[in-house]
Amino acid sequence: MSPPGNGGTAIRAEGLVKTYGHDVRAVADVSFAVAPGEFVAVLGPSGAGKTTLFRCLTGLTRPDGGSVSMHGRELGRLHGRALRSARREIALIFQQFNLIRRLSAVQNVLAGRLAVVPTWRVLLRRFAAPDRQLALSCLDRVGMLDRAYARADQLSGGQQQRVAIARALAQEATVILADEPVASLDPESAASVLETLRAVAAAGVAVIASLHQVHLAMSYADRIVALRAGRIVEDAPVGRVDAQAIERIYERNGEAA
Amino acid sequence: MTDGGAAPARVYAEPISPWWSTGRLRFVAILLAVTAFYAVSWHLAQVSPSKLASGLPKMASWARKAWPPATDELPVLLRRAAETVAMAAIGTTAAALLALPVCALAARNVTPSMAVYYPVRWFLNALRGIDSFVFALLFVAAVGLGPFAGMLGVALHTWGSTAKLWAEAIENVPPGPLEAASATGASRVKVLSFALLPDVAPSMVSVVLFWWEFNVRASTVLGVVGAGGIGQELKNSMDLLDFPRLLTIILIILVMVTVIDHLSQLLRRRLE
Repeated sequence: MSPPGNGGTAIRAEGLVKTYGHDVRAVADVSFAVAPGEFVAVLGPSGAGKTTLFRCLTGLTRPDGGSVSMHGRELGRLHGRALRSARREIALIFQQFNLIRRLSAVQNVLAGRLAVVPTWRVLLRRFAAPDRQLALSCLDRVGMLDRAYARADQLSGGQQQRVAIARALAQEATVILADEPVASLDPESAASVLETLRAVAAAGVAVIASLHQVHLAMSYADRIVALRAGRIVEDAPVGRVDAQAIERIYERNGEAA
Repeated sequence: MTDGGAAPARVYAEPISPWWSTGRLRFVAILLAVTAFYAVSWHLAQVSPSKLASGLPKMASWARKAWPPATDELPVLLRRAAETVAMAAIGTTAAALLALPVCALAARNVTPSMAVYYPVRWFLNALRGIDSFVFALLFVAAVGLGPFAGMLGVALHTWGSTAKLWAEAIENVPPGPLEAASATGASRVKVLSFALLPDVAPSMVSVVLFWWEFNVRASTVLGVVGAGGIGQELKNSMDLLDFPRLLTIILIILVMVTVIDHLSQLLRRRLE
């Protein structure tokens, strides 16, 4: 729950390379670092390598080269228990929310506690009072406390995504990776989800979200990282990204800068 | 210029098929094969309308003799009917308990390995392929006459069927919630019990109710091979040509099956 607060790095990617087949370079030499409390928006046209980058960061895909480290520990060198505990600090937010539809919002948030709760409690679905209280407080933080006992499939898309963010908080993650978190939401819900992510970042979590709409990135994120053909073509605080830079990111056949 | 309407700006080429085209030849070949199949089947089934014509009056006279149904043995017959329901219930429950650990192995998306998946699937298909009637026949020889043999037969056949349908229910679960739950760093058992079970539990219960209902119907004939229940009385009455008693038994079966069908449907509808 407590934000790390130190001015260090929450997650760092160094020289990441991922090639599919013989010559499809999905990610080519990508390096960047995100500090606790920072909200980074990853932009780029379709096929720029955003999804592959996210999969490398979470360990769902093994990069061919380079490394990912969490709070100074390199994920590629960790094994077994140490790797699992490092992974626990990364929470994922999905485009399709991925809540368990027949469970209530608060039970879905408790899913964030699965790794640390004893197996018998999971089997019997009897979570301890501190875990339940934590789940409720996480729902409170994303503004979903009043819907805590509603079934997930009775919530709107935006509400489901906020519950997913609460699940990430219950996991006590220090890094939240959100792959297209608002791509299937209406503008109003998208705004409330990004607002929530910004608040979570302000509390000390490093948030990395890939977004399709530039204006959303500009109004909610602290920093823009732009990918094009697997390379970073822009990495700057939102205040220093101008219209020309945006054009460069999305221009049709220009060379990567 | 042609007479009807404006002349089209261009002539569009259409495929021309001659009478000997492969499509038409295939159609004729299929028609011949289907006709041959039915001709052979008609012969093998020894279909004989004349026999039916001479047999129908016989059945009509039985029906006349059967009325009114015999009520003197009602308590015994009801007990036999209860045996049938019980044998189906215990057999189905045993099948469900046996299916529980197996179904996850037989579902592509959660099986630990394909080396487990295929043997388990073959085993379940073998159980499914042998009818409970055939199993009952074997068990009557092994454990003796009575509903216990019937229950074992029901259990084995239903085990295979239930596990296969459950595995299919598991395979239809969207992968996202499972992925999200395992991304929290939770172990496999926790993920399956927490994220998978709530999704599939209603359809699993629905499958079990369906098989219970089905097995009550199927169990009415198990008595014919000596595996207990109302079917045994049915066979006795037929052997003795005791038609009033036979009618009573058929009526009991009808009422029993209808009640169970409705009960099962009612429960299944409430699951959603």
